[in-house]
Amino acid sequence: MDPAEVEFLAEKEEISVVPNFTQDKIYLIGGDVGPFNAGLPVKVPLWMAINLKQGQKCRIIPPDWMDTERLQDKKQEETDSKFFTEMPSPHFMEITQLLLKCATDDIPHADEIRTLVKDIWDLRIAKLRSSIDTFLKSDATHAKLNYLTLMELNTARPFLTKALDQMHLLRSNLSGRIQSTQE
Amino acid sequence: MTSENVDDYFSISDILTTQERLPCKVELPIYRLGYLDTSSTSDDLQPGTKLDLSFWMARALCSRKRHIVSVEMPRPYREGYREILTADANVVDLHKLGPYYYSYGVTVTECFQTRIRKIMDSSQNAYNEDTTKLTEKLDETEKCLFKAGQIGLNDFQRWETRQTEKLTTSEMVRSHRKRKRALMDDS
Repeated sequence: MDPAEVEFLAEKEEISVVPNFTQDKIYLIGGDVGPFNAGLPVKVPLWMAINLKQGQKCRIIPPDWMDTERLQDKKQEETDSKFFTEMPSPHFMEITQLLLKCATDDIPHADEIRTLVKDIWDLRIAKLRSSIDTFLKSDATHAKLNYLTLMELNTARPFLTKALDQMHLLRSNLSGRIQSTQE
Repeated sequence: MTSENVDDYFSISDILTTQERLPCKVELPIYRLGYLDTSSTSDDLQPGTKLDLSFWMARALCSRKRHIVSVEMPRPYREGYREILTADANVVDLHKLGPYYYSYGVTVTECFQTRIRKIMDSSQNAYNEDTTKLTEKLDETEKCLFKAGQIGLNDFQRWETRQTEKLTTSEMVRSHRKRKRALMDDS
């Protein structure tokens, strides 16, 4: 899977915007959006929010987790916990990335948020890597990881699947040999 | 040795793997093939002659039905080497032991398990670097894994630096145009 595809999925998440125009409901295949009233917050899909923002037709209200204090706490929780903790949004990385690119003026402390999210990401990736390592070292056939986000899975996928294929091959060689000596 | 190399018939790495030579001992006289053993002058291969045969050949000649040759364990898989691997698998230069080490060995699963961490970390952290130093001690299978890790990292980095959203010419169109230009130049 391409990161761009993951981003596409993330763009379906809803976000609040304050439009500066008035328009009736828009009927889309994915659901109805609106009605828009100038100055009143309304929920729209992320892709539409970005499009409106680029046309300077709205102000984006950042999601409530996109806040230095909340993210600090989250980072602390992630550091303390041995396991993965639940992220405020399953697409936190993509949403931060997209919003910080086009709506930096709407988000207070944008730079701090960028650093914090990146820190959390790095923490989680390091955790993911060590759990992959323990999984491969143990002879377990399956493992369960909670609260992993799609983007994180996506960076580990090509490597992990190949490594497991190889392990399977080595193991089946082993059992194949035992069987043939027993024949 | 296992005959369960379940790879694709056309797989290049499978072909290269089965090219590796194994020390074998001839068990039955093989007539008219004496020239294979350059040190003897006789017409036939005598039982007891030692030969290096490719894996694919040895596999055919050493089965339960016809035991024409017997295969000796290649050096890197014998007891001594196994001890080295148990000691610390990370520092062994597998490429020197045989570039297709894993494809032959059967007692190497643990070795693989130990080494995988290092491969994973190095492949997922080396961005825009020369990777030859990192891969020189890896065997071909591990190199393949290393490449997979790099794909994951590079895709993510390209996304993070917003390079994926720039539209670029597809490789096919570009080379097609080049070819067309070359054709026009020729005529």
